[in-house]
Amino acid sequence: MEYLVLPRSSFDLFVEYLVRRGKVVAPVAKGNGQFVFSEVRKGSDIALRYILTILPPKKYFMPQYETLAEYDTRRGQKLQPVVEVEPLILFGVHTCDLAGIQCLDVVFSDRPKDLNYLVRREYITVIGLECNDYCDTYASCGLMGTFLPQGGYDLFFTDLGEYFLIHVGTQKGEDLVRDIPFLERAQSQHLAELEALRARKAQIFRPEVPVDRALLPRMFREGFEAGVWEEIGNRCLSCANCTNVCPTCYCFDVRDVPDVNLVTGRRIRVWDSCQNEPFAKIASGESFRAERSDRKRHRFNRKFSYPVKRYNRFFCTGCGRCSRVCMAKIDLKETITRLAQETGYLKV
Amino acid sequence: MMKVPKVAFFDFTCCEGCQLQVTNLGEELLELLKFLDLVEFRETMSERWDGIYDIAVIEGSITTPHDVERIRRIRQRSRTLIAYGSCATIGGVNGMKNAFDLEEILQYVYGEGARFFTTLPTRPVHEVVPVEYFVHGCPVYQPEFLEVLKCALLGIPYHVPDVAVCVECKFNENVCFYERGLTCLGPITRAGCNSWCINNGNICYGCRGMVSNPNERGFLEVLERYGVRVEFLVRRMDMYNACRILKGAGKRHGEEHTR
Repeated sequence: MEYLVLPRSSFDLFVEYLVRRGKVVAPVAKGNGQFVFSEVRKGSDIALRYILTILPPKKYFMPQYETLAEYDTRRGQKLQPVVEVEPLILFGVHTCDLAGIQCLDVVFSDRPKDLNYLVRREYITVIGLECNDYCDTYASCGLMGTFLPQGGYDLFFTDLGEYFLIHVGTQKGEDLVRDIPFLERAQSQHLAELEALRARKAQIFRPEVPVDRALLPRMFREGFEAGVWEEIGNRCLSCANCTNVCPTCYCFDVRDVPDVNLVTGRRIRVWDSCQNEPFAKIASGESFRAERSDRKRHRFNRKFSYPVKRYNRFFCTGCGRCSRVCMAKIDLKETITRLAQETGYLKV
Repeated sequence: MMKVPKVAFFDFTCCEGCQLQVTNLGEELLELLKFLDLVEFRETMSERWDGIYDIAVIEGSITTPHDVERIRRIRQRSRTLIAYGSCATIGGVNGMKNAFDLEEILQYVYGEGARFFTTLPTRPVHEVVPVEYFVHGCPVYQPEFLEVLKCALLGIPYHVPDVAVCVECKFNENVCFYERGLTCLGPITRAGCNSWCINNGNICYGCRGMVSNPNERGFLEVLERYGVRVEFLVRRMDMYNACRILKGAGKRHGEEHTR
């Protein structure tokens, strides 16, 4: 696939072009130094330099509330499946969030395939945006190796000052940019500048915790009874902020919502969280993870251990959202460091 | 087609603001009225009903011997009881009275006329009679009331979310108030209101009551980090949650459940 050049002076034109093609969402400043993905109409609406949005783009791939089916009790058990879709251009997705979307793709493509997700996925065009430097100190994309693009986008933007270099990743991306007159084919000097940036980045982004990434699953298995879990469990408020903002947390609850006539209604799914008190509670009233420490340990294992076994993939993208949002200041890097100390995996 | 259910609204010690929320439903109220028979609702109609209520919606807390008798009579005539609004579900603002000597507070409020009144410690409805459904909030959040009402009409349980307001607040992608230098009760207050106040620029006052198992020690550490004094927080909590001190008070005051 090819590289294209978008002069910075034409960025607004580019966004206008996208807006004419459909609904465009991009990072927008929300105040207090925080950002959200939200609909934009022009280039100046977009925050090109942003600390990761409060919620990751997963809100577009699996919305907080989503209708799965409609029912009519007069038809007995027969449900009418529903997929609520809307064509969407998602602009400005950082590489960690691209990795997050890839994780969701893996999970929802696993059997039983999740048609709601997979159908909606087809309607979303993803345009990535490279990070030239750390967003803030919470990120651990150096450790997780997610600071460079590894697919998962239709187009990928790199900000090189006077111009953006655009990598065309898919046919969908190709179709989107084919007719834009102000895009030029990249020359060798453009690619050389990209190489130079990536070389600089390799110096900037280093493992934030001195552990061997490949050994993390083993470290988590061996550290199952480590003291760090109780320590962070004591501090955790079970507010579920960490899982709601996580780009790879996909747990949900399914509920039936009757209409006022009490005859028809909708089956919906709603984000749920392993950090919530009732999450692992069963009919008898027992809970598999009654203690906050159990729930915290579970969350970390669901990022660094269990999915590696099942999907051969880490489900932590190093985005740092869970640490950024935690009122109790339970920090992912600190937690890994503490666990590595306890288990002897900390490199000296 | 099943019989059209008879529904009635009653108010005890409260401001009746939660009932106003029903009248504020607008078109949804008209839709609702196709499926139920509203037989008593002092705020909107003068008719009364002397039969059995399929659903009685109770606003207000129980604060006088007369309240106790009246709620018992309503309970006896009701198939299903919905405690409606903070005063009814957790005692609400009226609970503040419990922090004072009752005689003194009676004097303070009624002065000379105090001898004409009797008063009891404030209690939520379920501490006096059994309650099937709870709609928390001051005022109630209309969409939740509709969900509860539909469950009651269908005879299926409604589970009040036992998770923090933070959950829905994050769904709504609000900037956390603690990051803005303000103290919010969201982290220990139970959800179900769709973080209504925070969405509109106000903090959470804890009007829905606390989650069942708040991490009190952990929350104290958080408050310390943000420089919030505990007394400040407790006082703020007491605005709606003062009745939590009175857990089990029904028995202490010699009140037996009627059903």
